[in-house]
Amino acid sequence: MQVGATLSQYFAGVDIGSTMTKVVIMNQTMLASVIGPTGPEHRKLANRVMEEALAKANLPFDDITYVVATGYGRINVPFADKQITEISCHARGVGHLLPEARTVIDIGGQDCKGIKLKEGRVVDFVMNDKCAAGTGRFLEVTAEGLGVKLEDMGRLSLAAENKVEIGSTCTVFAAQEVVAKLSEGVPLPNIIAGLHEAIASRIYSMVGRLKIEREVALTGGGAKNIGLVKALEAKLSFPVLVPPEPLLTGAIGAALLGRDIVEQAAEEGITLVRSERRLREATLFT
Amino acid sequence: MTEEKKPEERKKRRTATEAASRIGAMAKAMNAAVLQAGEEGEPIAYAFIYSGYDEIIRAMDIVPAWTENYAGICGAKRDAQRFLERAESENFSRSLCTYALCGIGFDSWREELGEMPPESPWGGQARPTVMLGSGQMICDPRYKWYQAVQHYMPDVPVYVSGLPWPPYEDDYDYREVQDYYVKYIVEEMRGLIEFLERHTGRKMDWDRLSELVDLSDRTWNLISEAYDLRKAVPCPMGTGDAMNTMVPMTFMMATQEAYDFFKDLYDELKIKIANKEGEIPDEKYRLLWGGGLPAWFALTDFNYFNSKGAVFPAETTYRLVEPVYKLDLPKVSDPLEHLAWRWVKYWTYRYDKARKRPGSHPDIEHLIEYIEEYKIDGVVMHEAFSCRSWHPGLIWQLNQLKRVYGDIPSLILESDIVDISSYNEADTRARIDAFIDTLEAVKSKKR
Repeated sequence: MQVGATLSQYFAGVDIGSTMTKVVIMNQTMLASVIGPTGPEHRKLANRVMEEALAKANLPFDDITYVVATGYGRINVPFADKQITEISCHARGVGHLLPEARTVIDIGGQDCKGIKLKEGRVVDFVMNDKCAAGTGRFLEVTAEGLGVKLEDMGRLSLAAENKVEIGSTCTVFAAQEVVAKLSEGVPLPNIIAGLHEAIASRIYSMVGRLKIEREVALTGGGAKNIGLVKALEAKLSFPVLVPPEPLLTGAIGAALLGRDIVEQAAEEGITLVRSERRLREATLFT
Repeated sequence: MTEEKKPEERKKRRTATEAASRIGAMAKAMNAAVLQAGEEGEPIAYAFIYSGYDEIIRAMDIVPAWTENYAGICGAKRDAQRFLERAESENFSRSLCTYALCGIGFDSWREELGEMPPESPWGGQARPTVMLGSGQMICDPRYKWYQAVQHYMPDVPVYVSGLPWPPYEDDYDYREVQDYYVKYIVEEMRGLIEFLERHTGRKMDWDRLSELVDLSDRTWNLISEAYDLRKAVPCPMGTGDAMNTMVPMTFMMATQEAYDFFKDLYDELKIKIANKEGEIPDEKYRLLWGGGLPAWFALTDFNYFNSKGAVFPAETTYRLVEPVYKLDLPKVSDPLEHLAWRWVKYWTYRYDKARKRPGSHPDIEHLIEYIEEYKIDGVVMHEAFSCRSWHPGLIWQLNQLKRVYGDIPSLILESDIVDISSYNEADTRARIDAFIDTLEAVKSKKR
């Protein structure tokens, strides 16, 4: 199917992360967004999240001008017109939401990225995708050890009076260490604040390779944890910027890049090739 | 037991040049020749590449067994883990050089069995008569590895020849001290020859040594000329191929076979350039492999770069020669003295350039030179975690490059030379994808 730039201007961004799947539908503003778990079964079910977003926006799929998929599961979106890396999408999303940002720190479920921006474009990036320390997974595992809900970790840590030092870099050993601290009677907030300090240190040393420049935007699930945000701010010695819904940054960037592609094609008189407008689930294993 | 593990075979990397496609057979034949020499009782020397003694060994008819090469073969065949684990079980730290660990694991196993470990890649690594370490500033395994292997082969003597060069300082001229270095190196080489004569029964043939020094000089020049042809747009040969053609450069130096190989490569590249035949049909990005040894088990990543429109016209890794006529060597009659001068002048080749650019360093000048001469769009480096002498400096080099020269997109890949457990193909390729996005963004901005 082919499309010119004269169709209805709706753009969809689909960001399939390791733990959460995010979809946004935009024209000049955001019309709908959905955030759902990725999970082992959901990896191939981006179509269902997309259906939900279309229903929210009250649009048929045919009306979507361009669909861009991003995230580690971007290849599992058979109805996407283009796949773009999460680095580019986060950069575009932050450039739109927080144009003053020069450095982006994205704390995802299984990886952490640092992105350096110049005039809205990526000029450098670093990624930690080898070790859970410095990612959301670190907090997830340790929260489980503490018997605390992940979403409560940030709030609880704010009550810390004397944060403990977590010596283990390895996530598995850190989980053991926090259980030992609990049994020693260390107050829970002090332990959680220590965990935030540990993860912030890992992130800071990795992103430090980029020569961090202000302003710094924090995205991804980690940005929703106020304790981690505070710990990172302490490392940086200045406040960070957080978008209204940090989980959606990549999906917003994807939708915006889709719009850029369509606009550029129109300017250059190029006809874009679109995938079939049929919502189907991905076939992962053939 | 780790011994039961089977290797994971891997599809071969596509080569751009016919010359590079011949390397597998050449390297295999080289290993077979060493094994054959061992069976016939010929003296075999464990040796490190780039240790300044190629001509000496060859002139004395001693067969070199390049231990780094054998570890690389195990890595490339994805059959190194059992040797690494063997060394680890002997209490060697996994954070040591994995070339060394693989070699130590292999040797300890071979010595225990009294024969090659089962299904050894390419028939195994021959037992040496002597082991030739190399004390220099490249890396510490060059003088510690063979000493460690002596635990398992106490009857095999080791000679460590010191091969220093003047360290770079921006506030002095290395020429003030170069004579001392040359004298020292010559003495070390004489000591090596004495050691080899004593332990192998072979005598130095000084006329042959002079001939081989001349041959390797000519080979250095020829390699430089052949590699310079890669400046062409489109680029006829990338770093993926250069990781093959390093075999005759490093393991066959001072042989006619190496010279002939690079003559063939030179001729092939000339034809490709005349036909405007690039490594890939649609070359979009020209990249510099700016440092780090490659992940030998993942050379197909170069094909992945190619699939994204990226080529590597140059690399600083395994470009272990410079045109000899540019090195400003004094005319000397003693071949050992010539080798010593070539060694010192090679390592100091970019010192003057670096001193002229505040904040620079010879390694940075190397990068800048290639970026300019090969029309480079971005720099890729590989942090091989176990190569402790090299990988800690890569980030500094990149940062310093950007400081003294200017912003250029860069990518650091992370894994290892041999240890496949450090590698994740999906993550590596995600980084490559993101890097390609960055290159495109920079290019479109320039447009």
